[in-house]
Amino acid sequence: MNEFSVIGKRIAMVDAAGKTTGAGKYTDDLSVPGMLVGKILHSPYPHARIKRIATSRAAKLDGVVAVVTGKDARNPYGILPVGHDEHALALDKVRYVGDNVACVAAVSETIAEKALELIDVEYELLPGYFDPEESMKAQTDLIHDNKPHNIEKDYHHVFGDPDKALAEADCVMEGRFIANEVTHAAMEPHSTLAAFEIDSQTGKPGRLTVWSSTQVPYYLQHKLSLVLEMPMAQIRVIKPLVGGGFGGKSEVIPLEIIAAIAARAARAPVKITYTREEVFWAHRGRPRTIIDLKTGVKKDGTITAVKARVVQDGGGYCSYGVVTILYSGALLGALYDIPNIGYDGYRVLTNKPACGAMRGHGTVNVRFAFESQLDEIALKLNLDPAEIRRRNLLKPPCVTVNNLRVQSYGLPECIEQVVERSKWRERKGKLSRGRGLGIACSHYVSGAANSIIRSDMPHSTVNIKIDRDGGVVVYTGTSEIGQGSDTMTAQVAAEVLGCSLGRVKIVAADTDLTPIDIGSYSSRVTFMAGNATLRAAEEVKKQIALAAARKMDCAPEELVFRDDLIVRGDDFGKGFAGEGARATQSEASVSGHVEGQILRGSLQQKRKDEGPKDQMTFEEAVVAAIDSHGALTGTGSYAPPLEARGGKHKGAGVGPSPAYSYSAQVAEVTVDEETGEVTVHKVWAAHDCGRALNPVSVEGQIIGSVWMGMGQALTEEMVWKDGMLMNPGMLEYRSPSSVESPEVEPIIVESIDPEGPFGAKECSEGSLAATIPAISNAIYDAVGIRLHECPFTPERVLAALRALKKSKHINLTEGVDPAAPTRFREHGGALCFRGKGPERHALDPGRREATVEAGGDD
Amino acid sequence: MIPVNFDYESPSTLAEALKLLASREDAKVLAGGHSLLPAMKLRLAQPALLVDIGRIAGLSYIRESNDQILVGAMTTHADIASSKLLQRSSPLLSQAATQIGDTQVRNRGTIGGSLAQAHPGADYPAAVLALDAQIIAAGPSGERVIAATAFFVGMFTTALRPDEIITEVRVPKTENESVVYKKHHHPASGYAVVGVAVRLKVSGGKIESAALGLSGVSQNAYRATAVEKALRGKPVAAIREAAAHAAENIEALGDYYASAEYRKHLATVMTRRALEQAASGAAK
Ligand SMILES: Cc1cc2nc3c(=O)[nH]c(=O)nc-3n(C[C@H](O)[C@H](O)[C@H](O)COP(=O)(O)OP(=O)(O)OC[C@H]3O[C@@H](n4cnc5c(N)ncnc54)[C@H](O)[C@@H]3O)c2cc1C
Repeated sequence: MNEFSVIGKRIAMVDAAGKTTGAGKYTDDLSVPGMLVGKILHSPYPHARIKRIATSRAAKLDGVVAVVTGKDARNPYGILPVGHDEHALALDKVRYVGDNVACVAAVSETIAEKALELIDVEYELLPGYFDPEESMKAQTDLIHDNKPHNIEKDYHHVFGDPDKALAEADCVMEGRFIANEVTHAAMEPHSTLAAFEIDSQTGKPGRLTVWSSTQVPYYLQHKLSLVLEMPMAQIRVIKPLVGGGFGGKSEVIPLEIIAAIAARAARAPVKITYTREEVFWAHRGRPRTIIDLKTGVKKDGTITAVKARVVQDGGGYCSYGVVTILYSGALLGALYDIPNIGYDGYRVLTNKPACGAMRGHGTVNVRFAFESQLDEIALKLNLDPAEIRRRNLLKPPCVTVNNLRVQSYGLPECIEQVVERSKWRERKGKLSRGRGLGIACSHYVSGAANSIIRSDMPHSTVNIKIDRDGGVVVYTGTSEIGQGSDTMTAQVAAEVLGCSLGRVKIVAADTDLTPIDIGSYSSRVTFMAGNATLRAAEEVKKQIALAAARKMDCAPEELVFRDDLIVRGDDFGKGFAGEGARATQSEASVSGHVEGQILRGSLQQKRKDEGPKDQMTFEEAVVAAIDSHGALTGTGSYAPPLEARGGKHKGAGVGPSPAYSYSAQVAEVTVDEETGEVTVHKVWAAHDCGRALNPVSVEGQIIGSVWMGMGQALTEEMVWKDGMLMNPGMLEYRSPSSVESPEVEPIIVESIDPEGPFGAKECSEGSLAATIPAISNAIYDAVGIRLHECPFTPERVLAALRALKKSKHINLTEGVDPAAPTRFREHGGALCFRGKGPERHALDPGRREATVEAGGDD
Repeated sequence: MIPVNFDYESPSTLAEALKLLASREDAKVLAGGHSLLPAMKLRLAQPALLVDIGRIAGLSYIRESNDQILVGAMTTHADIASSKLLQRSSPLLSQAATQIGDTQVRNRGTIGGSLAQAHPGADYPAAVLALDAQIIAAGPSGERVIAATAFFVGMFTTALRPDEIITEVRVPKTENESVVYKKHHHPASGYAVVGVAVRLKVSGGKIESAALGLSGVSQNAYRATAVEKALRGKPVAAIREAAAHAAENIEALGDYYASAEYRKHLATVMTRRALEQAASGAAK
């Protein structure tokens, strides 16, 4: 018999049916009586002072109910306590093309859009900053007055003695890497519906209910309370189905606050759903990053020191920026054994949409640089790239030089698995010209050990209630965003309680009903909410066991709960009729009615007649427990242990995690040397997730991570011109889909973490970071070019190939060499739909060109 | 965004449609809607009247007439891609159609709409140029035949008058020739960054005739006459050198995905590959 009966099984997500049939409700599917449509007026300028906003013409339009501006909600907010620099609607300044200026609530979308055209805004243009290294030199016209040189935050960390170690190293490799900006592109655009109740006492707007596509309902409740000056108790946030987040919904997005401001002014419910273009402006994606990296090694390949200088192009607001720049430094540690680390990180403000958290938050771009450089070193030392990684493994349990505690560590097995399955030893370096293999590793946190809201509160709390008929309801604050958190929660509860999965119902992410949980981000849910669920279930189980033990005339500790049965430990195994039988049994017992009689009543009757029992069904035991001490409820919570919370230096809060996941990948690619096109044929992706609670989910997350990494490696790039995004749509910005997916072989490695729920840890972000360098290293193997800038577009690849062969030079925009890029640059403009919507960008230089060039017959 | 308000008519005869089209200056034909509607949503197009020609009977067909295949203007990309008649007798059009956009686009978009739209990266223009196709346009004063080579004038601009409707496209049978359509897709939009349509006749190892249409490279699709000239009467081995002329004297488009220089380079590589494939097909 298996150790477990619910976890470890390949099961369909518990919320799959609604999503696949279309019956499921996302925020934009919702509608309440009297609901208005909200539309937002966005700034056409990257940096300007608002002199005057005249809304009266718009307000007079028939069908317009309210027009709101920054004056309607003056309190600033931001996701980080140190970064309260945003206004949902600009108060005095706009800081990027697309910044929010006003909102109209009207009876129809058409009228709302028409009204936007009637709002007159007078701007005073300010010089824009688009390149972070230029922005850092700024003296005047700062983006935020309290941020000198437009530097949001800089950190300078030294662990060990990197300078000395580099001086003594046998080989030092140095280089600049550039990763361009990418965004989440979740399938569901952000949507929020806000509705106030009228307060019975005052007749004024009272309680507020907000349905929103969010990963963080409690942060949203908190920020709404701050901006609207309402107690949190008066605000209810409900998260309906969410169509993907990837970090893009892991903080408060302007529309969520704007909808509430507009609803308050209109005294009617208001729904706002972003257009795809607005989703691109809302952004909060992965910043363009410049990484100057220096690594020192001994002759045998062991790393002695790493120094990195990282500059992030953060956009106009702080967002998660301080955390991002800290992760970029902290996660230099905890993958390999590096005794000396030096880090200088600069998070810089620019006049573009704010960057924030995106899958693999903070680690992805630096990992691209590091794993590329490690291959360069291996080449120089004539070492196999897999071997140099093996020589630098950590020896856990251990604490790294930057104070990260590592316990479970499946990296060695991940490397062995991908080496084995890709036939690395036989094939690496021996494939036909144009075809190559590359390897890279990565890791990620299973949630942050220190939450962004500095408090001692547990990060997750879960309540469980069991009804008299054996129905289990789990109340959890975690947000199911497609990653499978509801399924994980149901599995953990069912496993602990020994009941069938079908009994468990999840009530999640409703701030009125569910206890506080800080949200679905940084891969924290399985580890933290999973542990809280486990503890809550154990608490209720204890109560059931007490009652059952009385009926069965034994000690509670002797009882085993499994497959809807409770038996004595020495009878363990006898009472189970096998899997098929169990299924029918549990179906019968949840049906409720037997021959017109309420089942639970009849059960009680039977029990009285029969005396002590050898075994009880789950339902009988639940009835016994409720009969003896009333309603069955339990609470569990999780706070990361003190030993996992990291060091004491400034910025030490980011990076520590109770457990790290590990990944290794091998990519096989071909490069068309004439066109520069790169095709990824196969990716072997091994991921150490501690224990796979639902292997299909884990595999899905690994495959999804590889796709997303492949997008950043090959096609995804936000292209800017004078602060204007040139490709704000899915016809211009390409995220890979199943069409261009290579074969991905997900390999699950289970290191069984000592603190994870059943040993589980992170599985949905860590793999992404390995994909980009694995592809880059494979390109090198195929054709001998070392690319220092991603994405590796055909033109960049071709330019690098020509530079290598010293044949006819391709002059890339601003003369940049793709093998040695020095700075960010802007490109030309899009071919079609260029600079959309003249009414929004009339004065933008990019726009003026576009009207001339594309001004054909339509 | 949503389009500005417009009127909508769906006439059941061509004559009625022509009348409606002539009735207002800012009237526009609506076919599959897969270029026009996106443009209207972006407000790049703001027609006051849409004349939907989808309800007019007899505009969607593929049939044989002597040495030509006649394709109705409302025939969808999907029908052209899967037509047995075209695949047998004039497969270039089918080859181009299979590579357009995605399934949804191919199920709705029409050949008439694509030609009238004249998107620089559209696929049919290269094919109809290589085929020396004829485009039939009906107008207030009757019907006229426009040679494909005279049809594409500039970016989104054709020889069609505002009051004309394309009714049919006529392509020759190419049973004794080898045809190939090769495309470098834009990764996001699916349009051609470069699309090369080749029609080649080889006999006894010599190239008897060659016709090439290129899409994506410049403002509008064009015939690569310099390549054709360099091939005529030459052995197949002349392909490599001839292909180098693919974008000669062409002012190429440049954008953030592909610079003008890269596009021109791509044009020569794709042209050579298309020709080589056509020649190897012809040799069989
Ligand atoms: C996502 C997407 C991807 C695409 N990818 C590709 C691609 O890879 N390759 C490609 O070639 N195309 C592509 N297209 C365009 C597609 O093929 C369109 O269907 C086509 O360009 C227009 O055809 P339509 O029937 O939809 O025309 P409509 O959109 O209805 O009309 C387009 C224009 O032509 C005019 N018009 C239409 N029919 C006639 C007629 N009979 N006579 C006179 N004027 C007429 C209209 O007034 C309008 O100006 C793509 C479109 C989309 C949305």
